[in-house]
Amino acid sequence: MKHFAQDTILETRSLGRNFTRGGGLFQQRTVVRAVDGVDLTVRRGETLAIVGESGCGKSTLARTLVRLLEPTSGQVLYEGSDIAHLAARSMRKLRKDLQFVFQDPFSSLNPRMTVGAIVEEPLTIHTRDGKPARQQKVAGLLQRVGLRPSMADRYPHEFSGGQRQRIGIARALASEPKVIVADEPVSALDVSVQAQVINLLEDLKTEFSLTLVLIAHDLAVIRHMSDRVAVMYLGEIVEIGDTETVYGAPRHPYTQALMRAIPVPAPGLRSMQADLPGDIPSPLNPPSGCRFHTRCRHADANCGTKRPALEPTEGLREVACHHWQKIAASLSPQKQEPPRSAAAAKRFSLYREWSRKNKSKGPSSAPGVTTTQRKDNNA
Amino acid sequence: MSEGTDSRSGGSKNPSLLTVDNLAIRFGNAPANTVDGISFAVDRGETLCIVGESGCGKSISALALMGLLPMPPAKIAGGRVSFDQRDLLTLPAKARADLRGDRMAMIFQEPMTSLNPAFRIGDQIAEGVLRHRAISQADARRRALQMLDRVKIPAAAERLDDYPHQLSGGMRQRVMIAMALANDPDLLIADEPTTALDVTIQAQILELMKTLQEETGTALIMITHDLGVVAEIADQVAVMYAGRIVEQGPVEAIFDDPQHPYTIGLMSSLPSLGERQSRLTTISGMVPTIETMPSGCRFAPRCPFVRETCITRAPELTSMSPGHLAACHFAPLETHMVEAV
Repeated sequence: MKHFAQDTILETRSLGRNFTRGGGLFQQRTVVRAVDGVDLTVRRGETLAIVGESGCGKSTLARTLVRLLEPTSGQVLYEGSDIAHLAARSMRKLRKDLQFVFQDPFSSLNPRMTVGAIVEEPLTIHTRDGKPARQQKVAGLLQRVGLRPSMADRYPHEFSGGQRQRIGIARALASEPKVIVADEPVSALDVSVQAQVINLLEDLKTEFSLTLVLIAHDLAVIRHMSDRVAVMYLGEIVEIGDTETVYGAPRHPYTQALMRAIPVPAPGLRSMQADLPGDIPSPLNPPSGCRFHTRCRHADANCGTKRPALEPTEGLREVACHHWQKIAASLSPQKQEPPRSAAAAKRFSLYREWSRKNKSKGPSSAPGVTTTQRKDNNA
Repeated sequence: MSEGTDSRSGGSKNPSLLTVDNLAIRFGNAPANTVDGISFAVDRGETLCIVGESGCGKSISALALMGLLPMPPAKIAGGRVSFDQRDLLTLPAKARADLRGDRMAMIFQEPMTSLNPAFRIGDQIAEGVLRHRAISQADARRRALQMLDRVKIPAAAERLDDYPHQLSGGMRQRVMIAMALANDPDLLIADEPTTALDVTIQAQILELMKTLQEETGTALIMITHDLGVVAEIADQVAVMYAGRIVEQGPVEAIFDDPQHPYTIGLMSSLPSLGERQSRLTTISGMVPTIETMPSGCRFAPRCPFVRETCITRAPELTSMSPGHLAACHFAPLETHMVEAV
């Protein structure tokens, strides 16, 4: 799982994306560098996670990767060729390969289209299939994401959040993409539904040999799903490396603070530390030098003036910090839930076994169980 | 530590600050109760977390306690709520309004929609003080400033005249907390107060709430879906599913010795920070809607252990260990479910 063919499918070179505000007659023009000089490679077949606080530019980066936003500067290379300046017509052909799953399953589906039409649209655009072939594919896709093909005639409002996210995933899959960029695909969902969608994404990734770029803020979800992780702060990548390496021994002080802030579901470990003072500074006016220096307890005068570049450290990991070597020594051990009592562990494994058994028994307990089936259960 | 813990360990001689007894809420002509007979008690200085997924009735219960549930369409279908030995549900609206914002206060999930965008935050905090205290405008403003200081808003004096949109999400939630605590309430209900915030800010807010609670001895009911937050802040936990409490007890018991299949499923669904699992265990299916509410155990349609009894008969909360209750016909599972594997 870990080490796929190392070749690059998607790459950014000093990618920048600015947003401008004002600039009218009476207003000073202000520029936000939402993404600022990002060099990133996405390897074929991997899951790369991009993590950071809101306002760090992770969603902008994700959208720029598939050119839902035009970059202001720099390049985006897909299979070696620059897509940042491709003409609209040629870009449209590439959209087949690069698909996007949105965070909010409520606003990203057209409420006036049936689910079947939503999933069919990419097929109409990107394939030469006739209507019957398309509808057959739609049925297959819906089934694959855990919905019943007969649901194709319904409208989005008839579905729950988890089901809508499945519809969004089916739509992204329809054009048989190579890369799926998913912006917080599970953060709007309840825990139990979230787990279903995570499992689905992982199964699909293997089945369709996808490359997955995952934007998320839930560090446990990222750890579970991704092979590599990039940590962003105010438009820049501050640390990137193998997930196990970064989680096991975070080197950038910002990554360390993020890790310490994770609430662990174990009351014995009331350990959540709020040692990252204050809020993220305004991207309108980012701090000079290292952008993190205003909240960093290791910062010295140098950090306020000189901007650190990403430099390779041990184990294929890169860190943008002047002091990472010094900081590495002061590292707190990785957080983990303590082991459960024997009786409780037994109960968890029983739950797992029985869930699996029921699943293989029949469709009634498959994800996406519907009201009608539920009624049968109770009858 | 706090008086609440003392009174609890010293037996149940002192009545709890808040006692909810078999509370049931129904909407319009719905075929089933949205909240179906929940019971719990909260002492001073104690934190109760009500945990559950969307639609389980946790927010509805909180709004009912605050007297903020629009009735109709909602109606109390049964039960009693006593707050400081007064029967809340039969209290006249006027008396209820006197309690609200004074003796009991609430913090909502989305600070932007619960602050009035057209008023300065200092005035919004002062308004609550003026409503319940016979003090001057100037004193109320002083109180607002003091509260902003206590919730650690930097340069509070300058912030007093800010409008909500000038503050970040974390700062707005601090203002909400300042507003809620301005009259030193006995009970604070917080509905998902950190859900909309980043993890680092979430940690700051939870730490602040814990500190303030230790200082004031306020009882806290925290409504959340995040088990990480529960582990961080709770003394007592109630797990809700489809309008019923399926398991409740001290926080250690819930996490170390969960008994109800729903609690176990919920915990299994969380990706672990330790060993990487190949696949997450899930709870299959979805929460039932009010029209399809099962008549027996409401979790039965999604439960991997479901049997005939579960479908016909609703399980009662029964004691598993001191203070730890679970509503499952087959708890503890390891003694009832071995043979069939």
